[in-house]
Amino acid sequence: MTQMAKQQYVTIKGTKDGLVLRLDDKCAYSDMIAELHRKVGEDRLEGIAEVQVQTGNRYCNEEELKEIMNAIHASPNLRVSKIQSDVITMEECNRKILENQSETYVGIIRSGQVVKAKGDLVVVGDVNPNGRVEAAGNIFVLGRLKGIAHAGANGNTQAVIAASRLEATHLLIADKIEIMTDELTILSEHPEMECAYIHSNGFIAIDRLQELRILRPGLSSFKGGS
Amino acid sequence: MGEAIVITSGKGGVGKTTTSANLGTALALQGKKVCLIDTDIGLRNLDVILGLENRIIYDLVDVIEGRCKVQQALVKDKRFENGLFLLPAAQTTDKNAINPEQMKVLVTELKRDYDYILIDCPAGIEQGYKNAVAGADRAIVVTTPEISAVRDADRIIGLLEQEDIEPPKLIINRIRRHLAATGEALDVNDITSHLSIDLLGIVLDDENVISSSNKGEPIVMDPSNPAAMGYRNIARRILGESVPLMSLDTGKLGFFGKLKSKLFK
Repeated sequence: MTQMAKQQYVTIKGTKDGLVLRLDDKCAYSDMIAELHRKVGEDRLEGIAEVQVQTGNRYCNEEELKEIMNAIHASPNLRVSKIQSDVITMEECNRKILENQSETYVGIIRSGQVVKAKGDLVVVGDVNPNGRVEAAGNIFVLGRLKGIAHAGANGNTQAVIAASRLEATHLLIADKIEIMTDELTILSEHPEMECAYIHSNGFIAIDRLQELRILRPGLSSFKGGS
Repeated sequence: MGEAIVITSGKGGVGKTTTSANLGTALALQGKKVCLIDTDIGLRNLDVILGLENRIIYDLVDVIEGRCKVQQALVKDKRFENGLFLLPAAQTTDKNAINPEQMKVLVTELKRDYDYILIDCPAGIEQGYKNAVAGADRAIVVTTPEISAVRDADRIIGLLEQEDIEPPKLIINRIRRHLAATGEALDVNDITSHLSIDLLGIVLDDENVISSSNKGEPIVMDPSNPAAMGYRNIARRILGESVPLMSLDTGKLGFFGKLKSKLFK
């Protein structure tokens, strides 16, 4: 009876998306994990249930997250589908801001010039031969890309390069390089906006810009609308 | 207070010196007081093209190093009444003999006495280029309808845009009508759209440019020459006149053209 009176550190709720496991963020981590072990042990479920874990305002490092996962997976009936946290570290936050921001360069990138961006790069103007654009994210050129472009410079293989006129000499995405030849620019005879991406075969491919929504659906950061 | 204009190209052999000599002469013909400065130290040519070679006493480096006054070093072109002067480059040393700050001081001093200071820049993007650009208010980029010259022009425009001067203007030199017409050479529109800067003028290729340079008489002195017309038009545009671009048509009618003109007389 005394145990029942105690405040619950782990609450399990059933929602239409499955079970939600809410972990109290005020108590000591050790108390919470002890109760989690106990609760998971006493569940009387049949079949396998997906569990969403909510850690609230508690910051859990990777080891702690692993411990929580292991505690839940101790039950043969439970599978963690995702872990939600309301907090991240400043470091992570700053990194995300830099990666998600889009820098705009208005002008012509001429021979010998290099423009670099930490996130996405939007160029309003041309990139002339021997000019170079580099971004950790995607590169969008509103103009003619006739020089060198390197998207996903930090290793992001999902990055793309799009241009009103894709006439680059070299295209680089993450650690892949493509030297543009005439065969590759199949569409160049009837100019259309094009985009370059890493195809599932591991090579850089070029397609119509309109295909991008299918190739990289995660690219859109637009929220809302109808 | 005059205006200093640097004439540059990046690539060598596109006609910077010829352009400098002819624009200087054309501006002098329009009654302006012009001073040409040759900054190609060690490889001077402007004096030869103007036919002033054997009248050089002092040079640019002498002025910079204080061995003489600017007025003593300036070579006057006797064909013009106090209209055209040349400050020749030194031949016995190299580009590192002067620095951009010294050039700036010199050009500022000359601007007080002259309407236009034309600075003939050496090829390349090193010390010589930096010296030449230092004192300039405006820049003219010379190119020819060749891909290599256009690429170098692009590079030099990029560098000029980082300087504290007005946006550079373009001269396309040595246009050969028949090559442009058949599409074998880059045409004027290709070049201007690629470089995206204002076109100041075009100059047609003409054999007489070479022979007149060899004689030390800038081609612009011969008003009937097609290349000279190009230079004269550019000079007028520098002075602020609006002059329409020269037509590239040869003026000769083809067979059908002749037939048509006969039939529909």
